[in-house]
Amino acid sequence: MKFLGRAVVTCLFAACVIAPAAGQERTATKGGFNLASQSGKTILLFRPTVRVGVQSTGGMFEPNADWTDQARKNIDDALAKRQQTLGNKVVAAPVSYGEQAQLVEEYSALFAAVSQSVIQYQFFVGNRLSTKKRDNKADVFEWSLGSGVAALPGAKDADYALFIWNKDAYGSTGRKLLQVAAAFGGVGVTAGEHKGYAGLVDLKTGELLWLNADGAMGGDVREIDGAEKRVGQLLEEFPGSVQPKLASAQP
Amino acid sequence: MRKGVAGLVATTVAVLSSAAYAASNIAPLPPPYIGAYQPVGVDEIGAWREADEDERMLVNSPIVIRDEALNAYVRQVLCNTVGNDRCKAARIYIMRVPVFNASMSPNGTMRVNSGLLLRMRNEAELATILGHEFGHFERRHTLMKWKATRSATDLLSWAQVFAALGNSYQSHTNFNDLELSVYGRIYRFGRDQEREADALGLGYLNASALRPQAASAVWQNLMNEQEASASAKGVKKPNFTKIAFFASHPPEGERAAAMMTLADPAGENRENGAARYAAALAPLLPSFLDDQIKLNDFGASDYILSALAINGWTARLLLARGDLYRARGNPRDLVQAAEFYGKAVEVDATMPEAQRGLGLSLIKTGRRTEGQAALQRYLELKPNAADAAMIKMLAPAAGGQ
Repeated sequence: MKFLGRAVVTCLFAACVIAPAAGQERTATKGGFNLASQSGKTILLFRPTVRVGVQSTGGMFEPNADWTDQARKNIDDALAKRQQTLGNKVVAAPVSYGEQAQLVEEYSALFAAVSQSVIQYQFFVGNRLSTKKRDNKADVFEWSLGSGVAALPGAKDADYALFIWNKDAYGSTGRKLLQVAAAFGGVGVTAGEHKGYAGLVDLKTGELLWLNADGAMGGDVREIDGAEKRVGQLLEEFPGSVQPKLASAQP
Repeated sequence: MRKGVAGLVATTVAVLSSAAYAASNIAPLPPPYIGAYQPVGVDEIGAWREADEDERMLVNSPIVIRDEALNAYVRQVLCNTVGNDRCKAARIYIMRVPVFNASMSPNGTMRVNSGLLLRMRNEAELATILGHEFGHFERRHTLMKWKATRSATDLLSWAQVFAALGNSYQSHTNFNDLELSVYGRIYRFGRDQEREADALGLGYLNASALRPQAASAVWQNLMNEQEASASAKGVKKPNFTKIAFFASHPPEGERAAAMMTLADPAGENRENGAARYAAALAPLLPSFLDDQIKLNDFGASDYILSALAINGWTARLLLARGDLYRARGNPRDLVQAAEFYGKAVEVDATMPEAQRGLGLSLIKTGRRTEGQAALQRYLELKPNAADAAMIKMLAPAAGGQ
């Protein structure tokens, strides 16, 4: 009954061995949205998704529980530390139970699906939809989770919701050796994968106000300093932040 | 490279041992329980952590069926099968997925699809599946498979780089051959795990109070269902003995035969628990049937309905059969749908959905007056129905037209 479809292994192999070595970063803000610094708004932060591990020689993700725990703690601390620069109050979403928790789960999944769509169909070259190409040129950024977000626990006392997703796979020794060997053969192999995105959602209308995605981030989330740099990159150009651009944000 | 070679040797051993169990008749008793297991090593701890995160989401997932009675029943069946100490390691989630499947994660998260529950005919059949999944868990199959896949992809990456370095026709051909054999090995490894889990499952079942021969029936019934599905679609009958290159499981034919060999003949006269199973499933059966019918697999759905109706067609089953025919919706189907709904109404005149289906199929087959009368009865039985306004347009109250 256990399922590991043909597609999984094939994709693991094909996608990871000869992955394009393109680091990509994009940010978009909904037209007309402007969050002034120190405007007294409350931002609800939902539990960030954090996965840290190793990239095997063949490109598989090897989850590492210890690193994941460290990274989660470091990222939480770094977020707390950055509150001042964000300019508005950031509070952790309340722990919810029963139907409320189910609703949070549904909207977290919906946010993940919508932001993936933005990343895939609007942000980066690849299979970008032609309508979204035009949107890009005209600077149109219009996505929504629907007004149902207003029913989320804690939503009535807050203005915006902040979602954060982060995945790190550090290249294993084998992967790095492979990379060197492959370079001789003229094959491009990447070692390590550091992806993340953060998004801000309007808790009244459900509109996606701001999204920042980066396919090749810096900062070692296993270290305190690294996590601070990472959070800085995730929240780069965050609306209403005091330091809009970080010096360390070069890909 | 060495890892790859070692893996190949390991697979050969695994194949031999799996062949050995198939030849030695009865599945042995499960090994003594070693107590609550905790993950060891970076890979396993990491796999558990990932499974924990998945479970965190699963707990709040809208597709989990939270019916307390059904959950308690499935849990009881697992505990009766694998023993009370073992079953403490598992947390069961019944998922609203109308497909025949179940799975178990490294950390003890067991997922059971509603489609599987719909297809099982008795407690012993359900116990077969639960025992099989628990076998995967007890032998840490997910981790082993993951490690095997990692070794295989490591090997292939190096081979691909060497092929590129050599960059001759021969080196690329060699790589292609290697790639095929490595993929073949990964899938065979998975199938051997399934065979091992089958044997473990039967070991539990042999030791339980249920009839172990029921295990073979699971796969017999599945083959019959697939045949029914193929014949309704007019496609070729599936081959139940052939192992496809990418098959995740051994073919149904092999499994049905292996299960029969593994079952302890001394258990032949033990009970199936069919009545208990039917009673436990009854409250959710209507929604399971609804989901199945919406899969638009006429042959399979009709087969499942006929199997459920083995002791006579109840009003609920007749209603589902009417829905099935009405969903396909050919003029000939609508005539038959009206007949099934009609019989359902004869058995139970207070079932609003049967009146609704009857009314709609009658109107479509040209029997408007009778149809409107049935729709009126629907509205009387269920005045607050979500579609009441729409139905009222089809069946205006007497004198209203």
